[in-house]
Amino acid sequence: MTDQTEFPDNDDIHAAELVLGLASDDDRTAGRRRMATDPTFAAHVVFWQERLAAMADSIDPVAPPARLKQRMLAQVFPAKRVSILERVWLWQGISVAALLFAGYLGVQLLTINTQPNQQPAVLAAQLVSDTGPLQVLAVIEPVSHEIALRRIAGEARADRSLELWAILPGQAPISLGVLPDSETARILVPAALRSQAAQFTLAITDEPLGGSPTGGPTGDVLAAGPMTTL
Amino acid sequence: MDRNEIENLIARVALRDRAAFEQLYDRVSAKLFGVCLRVLNKRAAAEDAMQDTFVKIWKNADRYNANGLSPMTWLITIARNTAIDRLRARKKGHQDIDTPGFELVAPGPNPEQAAVASSEALRLSGCLDTLEQDRGNAIRGAYLDGETYADLADRFGVPLNTMRTWLRRGLIALRECMSQ
Repeated sequence: MTDQTEFPDNDDIHAAELVLGLASDDDRTAGRRRMATDPTFAAHVVFWQERLAAMADSIDPVAPPARLKQRMLAQVFPAKRVSILERVWLWQGISVAALLFAGYLGVQLLTINTQPNQQPAVLAAQLVSDTGPLQVLAVIEPVSHEIALRRIAGEARADRSLELWAILPGQAPISLGVLPDSETARILVPAALRSQAAQFTLAITDEPLGGSPTGGPTGDVLAAGPMTTL
Repeated sequence: MDRNEIENLIARVALRDRAAFEQLYDRVSAKLFGVCLRVLNKRAAAEDAMQDTFVKIWKNADRYNANGLSPMTWLITIARNTAIDRLRARKKGHQDIDTPGFELVAPGPNPEQAAVASSEALRLSGCLDTLEQDRGNAIRGAYLDGETYADLADRFGVPLNTMRTWLRRGLIALRECMSQ
């Protein structure tokens, strides 16, 4: 038996061993759990993590191969075959409308075998700009034919209005209306355009207060995006 | 590295900002890959550890603020622990990539501890150098190479308990030196 009284043992040492990875598996599990509940012990761990991480300064950076980034991104953002629910989650800015519709779609999916062509698509667009801050999410609700809009970032310029346009291939932009100052808005899609909604590109322009005086856009395009099927 | 820049990127990643995530990767991946390579010594394994590391960063970015660490320490800690988990799993013959790979800290009353400058590296290495050489090397080996008490006892040719006592004394001396 070694001389136990000489054997250094306290919370600070346990914290250091945890950070160094010297703790046994059991101690490690217990230590991690304790950190989540015991701020004093957690402070010891943070002390050691912060101090010992300085050792990494002696490690030279090594550029990883480019394919690693692609592989990692493919894992974090699976591009294809994203479930409807995940997509709905991505569009959480309009979550209520989208979730309601997901429920509706669920009902539709149940009947899909008998009516394969009756499944309506949820259309959504993310209106953004490379140069400005304005970001707006839009979802077209197929039952009410309303566009539910949520402004995520940016706003109208001082004493100016934001106007929403639907653009169809080869046609002049069609005004859908002036957006209110609020973050959310609902705008009815004119009946004549409803069947072509999937081809829309939505755009928001900077216009004089109250909207374009000419019927066509007159100001800068502040954000735009094509409709995609959610 | 600019602490504010990295911190901002992590905050945006917590909001699920993919562009920020890619920027963060571009900014820190070389450093973190260096860390993974140092621990694992094999490129293929280090690449796998990097992939896990960034998945964890993506999933846990919203917890960054609560843990009181400086941003690079947080990132390096995730990379190092992920690499060490892989090293241990390799030795044991299985892998457990589901554990967070880093310690989640309760929100604590010690923000000053996070305010550590990079001069800390000099201080640490100065303090390690004041220890008896073997003890300093043992602490370096544990942190940088993921060596366990058993590995270290082997390397230094001493019994396990002796190693433990040595290293613990070294840690106490290190704490004193760095707290001065």
